[in-house]
Amino acid sequence: MRVVIAEDNALMRDGIAALLTDHDVTVLATVSDATGLLAAVAEHRPDVAVVDVRMPPTFTDEGVRAAIAIKAAHPATGVLVFSQWVETVYANALLRDHPERVGYLLKDRIVSTAAFLDALHRIADGGVALDPEVIRQLFAAPDAGLARLTAREREILALVAEGRSNPAIAAELHLAGRSVEKHVTAIFTKLDLPPSAEDHRRVRAVLRYLEAS
Amino acid sequence: MSAVLLAPFAARTWREMAYALASLLLAAPAVLVPAALLVAAPMALTVVGLPLLVGVLLLARQLPGWFGFVARPLLGWDLSAPPPLSGRTAVARGREVLTDGRAWRAAVYAFAKAPLAAVTAYITLLGTVFGALLLTSPLWWEAGTRDLGLPGVDSRPETGYAAAVGAAALLLCPWLLRGLVAVDRNLALLLLAPGPAERRIGELVTSRAALTADAATTLRRLERDLHDGTQARLVALGMTLARIEKRLDPADGDVKDLVGAARSTVTEGLDELREIVRGIHPPALDAGLPTALRTLAARSGLPVSLSVDLDRPPPPDAATTLYFTAAELLSNAARHANATTVRLSLTSAGGWLRLVVTDDGRGGAAPSLSGTGLRGLVARAGALDGRLEVASPDGGPTTVTMSLPAA
Repeated sequence: MRVVIAEDNALMRDGIAALLTDHDVTVLATVSDATGLLAAVAEHRPDVAVVDVRMPPTFTDEGVRAAIAIKAAHPATGVLVFSQWVETVYANALLRDHPERVGYLLKDRIVSTAAFLDALHRIADGGVALDPEVIRQLFAAPDAGLARLTAREREILALVAEGRSNPAIAAELHLAGRSVEKHVTAIFTKLDLPPSAEDHRRVRAVLRYLEAS
Repeated sequence: MSAVLLAPFAARTWREMAYALASLLLAAPAVLVPAALLVAAPMALTVVGLPLLVGVLLLARQLPGWFGFVARPLLGWDLSAPPPLSGRTAVARGREVLTDGRAWRAAVYAFAKAPLAAVTAYITLLGTVFGALLLTSPLWWEAGTRDLGLPGVDSRPETGYAAAVGAAALLLCPWLLRGLVAVDRNLALLLLAPGPAERRIGELVTSRAALTADAATTLRRLERDLHDGTQARLVALGMTLARIEKRLDPADGDVKDLVGAARSTVTEGLDELREIVRGIHPPALDAGLPTALRTLAARSGLPVSLSVDLDRPPPPDAATTLYFTAAELLSNAARHANATTVRLSLTSAGGWLRLVVTDDGRGGAAPSLSGTGLRGLVARAGALDGRLEVASPDGGPTTVTMSLPAA
């Protein structure tokens, strides 16, 4: 896998680059601001851009805006946005127009290397990776459809939103594959998601969380 | 001695003369205030009299600014206008002005000022115009112009006497003027300027605003330092530990466990750090209060319906206070009130920001009860000249309203 890293803190930037290199990920370029990021993505066409939310000049949401620009200009490039804190508004903005090849994680997750790499690969494969903390916040949002879900269904939808496949969810919750499928279908029904390609409905279900927030 | 001789030419004299003439012009309409007061006061208890009295006093509050308009640039007197009335409704402001010392004192000043301004202007004009005429009389006196207004001047030599009187008047006039202006100054400082208590309040308000702004800046810097420094270092440490773990042989099981444990400690540290930062200065506030409230509502354990209607961003200290208040009230609703839904609205109108949080819980909340944090919120509102009102009958619903000045 080939990535570009945008992070203004040199310690973090070099650390992430070294960590990814250790795990056979090719780091094409490291940059420290949004302008550099857009140039690097245009030049290298990486599989995934790893982006810090807070970068110069205003240190607020430069990363999110750069990520949206990347998704618009290079749909084939995935974006993994890192944030010091969870902001459902940002997650919403990221997923609204291009709900694929995108991730939003807390910076802390980098320390859990396996989860970090897993998210990176899911995004490169066209999926979505959301931080469990985002999911937790989204559950609190009022939505009649979401309110109808049982505790088990919520748990499963949380994992769907994290980007897990049915077999992965079954393994995580120690359930039979069949029963996970049943739950997922029940979720689609309760959320009034019309039958269509399975993956599409999964993304729609995740978006319902985000719209509700 | 030279001071006495040069007084007519001193800049101060000219400024005082300008003030004497200008304040006569200003005093003329200002006389309306005490005049109307004399009419309104006896019938204060009637339907017409009370509003009239209020109106006159409101007008009287304008007098320090009115006279200060010329007194400040010419004489440097500090006659700052009184602070705006804090009442929200016309009735509240009316009640406030009736007991407003500044308004009554200003009315008394206008009363005394009218004759004082007349005398001062008269003496100024008389002293200078007639003094100059008399002083120069030897130059223009002719046998035909008999009536100089001074007895005994019938011939040219006698104009020497008139000139002496003119010179004396010109020399005397600045000192008389100075004395009258000094009387006016004492009256104005006593009756128009803010009293010592009011001045002290002004100083305290200014220094309190500086302190809150400073505290907000400090907290913000602290938050940034923690995020960009401490958090980044902890993450970097965690990444290094992860890389060490990867490099270890499967045979080094013990070491691997130790490194793994160290890495989990780092993760816990990061979790704690995030919670601490959230309590210091919620980073979401950097993206604006509406965004921060939406995040807050999303994080709440209860379904929150949120409506925000602001015409412009609130001041930073108000935004921080409103955010923490909303956080506290949402947590109260979930923890103490057993509520199932919460409505949160933030609006701005008439110079006030209003945060209203309503839950359908069991009610019975009051700032006097400890453990709800409401007392702290009352203090927080007070620190910004705002108010916190709690309506929470037993059985609910509970509505808490925080009003803060929008500027």
